[in-house]
Amino acid sequence: MTETLQVFWATYNTLVFTVGVHAMLALSIFLTLSCGLLSLGNAAFMGIGAYTAALATLRLGLPFGEALALGGLLPGLVALVIGIPTLRLSGVYLAMATLGFGEVVRVIFLNLEITGGSMGLNGIPMKTQLWHILAILAVLVYGFVRIRRSKIGRSFEAIKEDETAAKAMGINTTAYKLLAFVMGAIIAGVAGGLNAHFTFFVSPREYGFDPAVDILTGAIFGGTGSFVGPMIGSAILAILPELLRFLQAFRLAVNGLILILVVIYLPNGIWDRKLFARLRKKGAA
Amino acid sequence: MQRKIVGTLYGLVAAFLVAATAQAAEVRLGVAEALTGAVAKYGVPIKNGFTLAAEEVNARGGVNGNKLVLVVEDEQAKKEEAINVFKKLIYQDKVLAIFGPTLSNSAFAANPIANQAKVVVFGTSNTANGITDMGPWTFRNSIMEADVLPVTVREAVKKFGIKKVAVLYGNDDAFTKSGYDVFKLVLEAQKIPVTSTETFARGDVDFRAQLTKIKGQNPDAIICSALAEEAANIILQARNLGITVPFVGGNGFNSAKLFEIAKAAADNTIMGGPWAAESNTARNKAFVAAYTKKYGAEPDQFAAQAYDALYIVAEALKAVKLTGNLEQDRKLLRDALPAVKIEGATGSFTFRKAPAKAGVDTGYDARQDAHIFIARGGKFVLMK
Amino acid sequence: MIAQQLVNALTLGSVYALFALGFTLVFGVLEVINLSHGAVFMAGAYAALLLVTKANLGIWVALPLAMLVSGALGLLIDQVVLKPLRARRAHHLMPMIATIGVATLITNAIQGIFGAETSRFPFGTIPEESFQIGAIRITELQIAIVIISSLLMLLLVAILKHTRLGKAVRAVAENPQTSYLLGINVEAVFCLVSFTAAALGGGAGVLIGLSFNSIFPFMGQALIPKGVAVIILGGLGDVRGAMVGGLFLGVAEVMSVAYLSSDYRDAVAFGLLFLILLVRPAGLFGRVMERKA
Repeated sequence: MTETLQVFWATYNTLVFTVGVHAMLALSIFLTLSCGLLSLGNAAFMGIGAYTAALATLRLGLPFGEALALGGLLPGLVALVIGIPTLRLSGVYLAMATLGFGEVVRVIFLNLEITGGSMGLNGIPMKTQLWHILAILAVLVYGFVRIRRSKIGRSFEAIKEDETAAKAMGINTTAYKLLAFVMGAIIAGVAGGLNAHFTFFVSPREYGFDPAVDILTGAIFGGTGSFVGPMIGSAILAILPELLRFLQAFRLAVNGLILILVVIYLPNGIWDRKLFARLRKKGAA
Repeated sequence: MQRKIVGTLYGLVAAFLVAATAQAAEVRLGVAEALTGAVAKYGVPIKNGFTLAAEEVNARGGVNGNKLVLVVEDEQAKKEEAINVFKKLIYQDKVLAIFGPTLSNSAFAANPIANQAKVVVFGTSNTANGITDMGPWTFRNSIMEADVLPVTVREAVKKFGIKKVAVLYGNDDAFTKSGYDVFKLVLEAQKIPVTSTETFARGDVDFRAQLTKIKGQNPDAIICSALAEEAANIILQARNLGITVPFVGGNGFNSAKLFEIAKAAADNTIMGGPWAAESNTARNKAFVAAYTKKYGAEPDQFAAQAYDALYIVAEALKAVKLTGNLEQDRKLLRDALPAVKIEGATGSFTFRKAPAKAGVDTGYDARQDAHIFIARGGKFVLMK
Repeated sequence: MIAQQLVNALTLGSVYALFALGFTLVFGVLEVINLSHGAVFMAGAYAALLLVTKANLGIWVALPLAMLVSGALGLLIDQVVLKPLRARRAHHLMPMIATIGVATLITNAIQGIFGAETSRFPFGTIPEESFQIGAIRITELQIAIVIISSLLMLLLVAILKHTRLGKAVRAVAENPQTSYLLGINVEAVFCLVSFTAAALGGGAGVLIGLSFNSIFPFMGQALIPKGVAVIILGGLGDVRGAMVGGLFLGVAEVMSVAYLSSDYRDAVAFGLLFLILLVRPAGLFGRVMERKA
């Protein structure tokens, strides 16, 4: 029995870590969504975090904890700087601006000496362990639960519902939006740092347009009613290609099909509390 | 009494035969290549090369009576997938060695896994610097640009009396960027001034802006590090813009696709490599014929190198007596590989240990002769 | 050299504009960011390829037929995927996510069927002549692309401005509910727009496929980010904006290569996007629409 478990873990531990990291990214985008901000810059922030943490380990020889901290800090600072002008936008415009920012970051990574250009950085030591990911996720989940019932959470909700009204009520919408944006960036950056230290390698292509859209897809797929949805949605989308391996050439096509079906038949995503309530009622009745 | 003796004899023979066939086991080899997604156009020919070679080997009775079984997985050119696939092949499918992955980027992520697990990882399309530095279980037969390009440039200069060049390369792909890095060093070493250096991205189809800029500088030749698709379009667009000077290319040019798109416009293009489809050796002719028959298309360099790689491993396996203990067999294979010499489709091949790096035991690179080819009438011919 | 670069920019820009046109139409009228536009673009190219190689049709006959095929595909996508979502009044990003699924499905299915290799039009399909006019060299094909794109765009603008049908489309773009109350068959307009947008996309696909004689399953995906940049530049939902935006992007990219560095070419589109959004979010011609996430 333990032999089977050992083989399972040896084969799938990277997948488990990947699911964990995707869950973090889903949370980072959920945070911004819960404040009414559609930000597609998280892939770029993840990239900044990944490169920073990797460079901290490779060039500065810093211990893992400090490397991760830097990996969270730098994206947070960048978010602060670009957030101030960008967060004046809303809706689709904000989404496109953050997407644009992300692409520019990717091209910068591609052209700087220090980031290794298209070759990226390799030979990053394996430092991430399961407990790191679980611990950070636990802290995040705890944080989200607490925020939901706190003043910050209620302010986010108010801004999301109607920003003008919230402002009229005296809520400092700019500060709160910036808070959500920066915190989202920090989470994404830490996720990037973790990812860099179990895949040995980072390169610019992983942090562009497509990954940004993937993160959003995972969150919406899971359902944005609560923080649980995005985590589940991204986990499913991360595991699905593995499960569909037997389909070979048509694996990704089926992936797309599943996405379409879920969107059409489960419009509030997979983790839909109201849907569960209705089903429970039906069951009880 | 006699019946009893005959019966026992038959029994013995039968037992012997059963035992003999029980020895004919299978040897499982993993193939991890990009079979879907944008990179599949390189991964699929590679897979085809392996499959063809394995079939040929098995048709002749396998290696020491063992059939070769390829366990093929799609790594999608994504680093996490490459890692997952490697782990599956190593721990679940329990293969003896892994071929792949397709991109150098994926190799940087997945090869450490193979080295840690003490399994041979054999790249046929990884040409970036640093691949074999990842550990002594890393092998590759993709000849390094650092060996070919100095010869290519020197011969090109001799042939066309080149005084100054312009450089154009793909800056977002490790393969073409590595090629450029080598070209840069070569041009400096051979003291050839560069009028300007322009870049493009993988998947780009329009190069007229860069080419127009280059045209204005009047170089004697254009050094180009690109894959065949982009190279062909670059050449075609250059000719359409009125640029007549020759192109000098790296490894990526080595494909029939270049001529499919560019046709006669590609004439006078120079590139170096160990292999061209027109190479006259019997071995290559047989390979090209077999590949074309089976897959309905001519093989490219990627397919040729994969084909040879399988034969290299088969050759190593011949020298090995498999014990049935996975860990030991993997080590036996690894130890037998460095000494292998074959006459492949791509010519004579041996390994060469990568130069030592501080504190790290290195793997093995290819040692093969580079030939210089020039394009004439829709194909590459040996340049005299 | 600058004259030549402008010619380069004109051809590149025309194709960006044609691609963006379909994109912006769907956004303007259906209010959906249709990320499957790249897939119908690619489908058009493959359709033309099949018509030329299997049905032995000339390219100028295959082009309109291929446009019909992609138009039909666009209509199918609308009816099967987008219509149910309209009825349900889902979160406004759900249609976009669904189109991502459609794009993945179509692109990978095509790859599964046709293989990952790049396909080409057979030798002789494409006009090969190039001309020297003063300091400029231009090929027959480039001229054809500019002419065809311009004709299609002008036709579209003419229909929208001067016909009753065009008025109906503009009304629906302005406000679907009111249009419905005024007796306009809104669903029919949606169908027509989906068909037309996809047909234009498919046309762009054939022209690009011809231009570079490369047809491969992922050819549309690379254009999507550029398409997004163009419609923001030009103003979401504005047809003239897509045309001008496309040309503008073509010029910006070409000029940045010519006078700055080709390294940052990809960043130009998005850098511009970012700046425009900070300075004038409505783009060149659009009006800012208030939207909640």
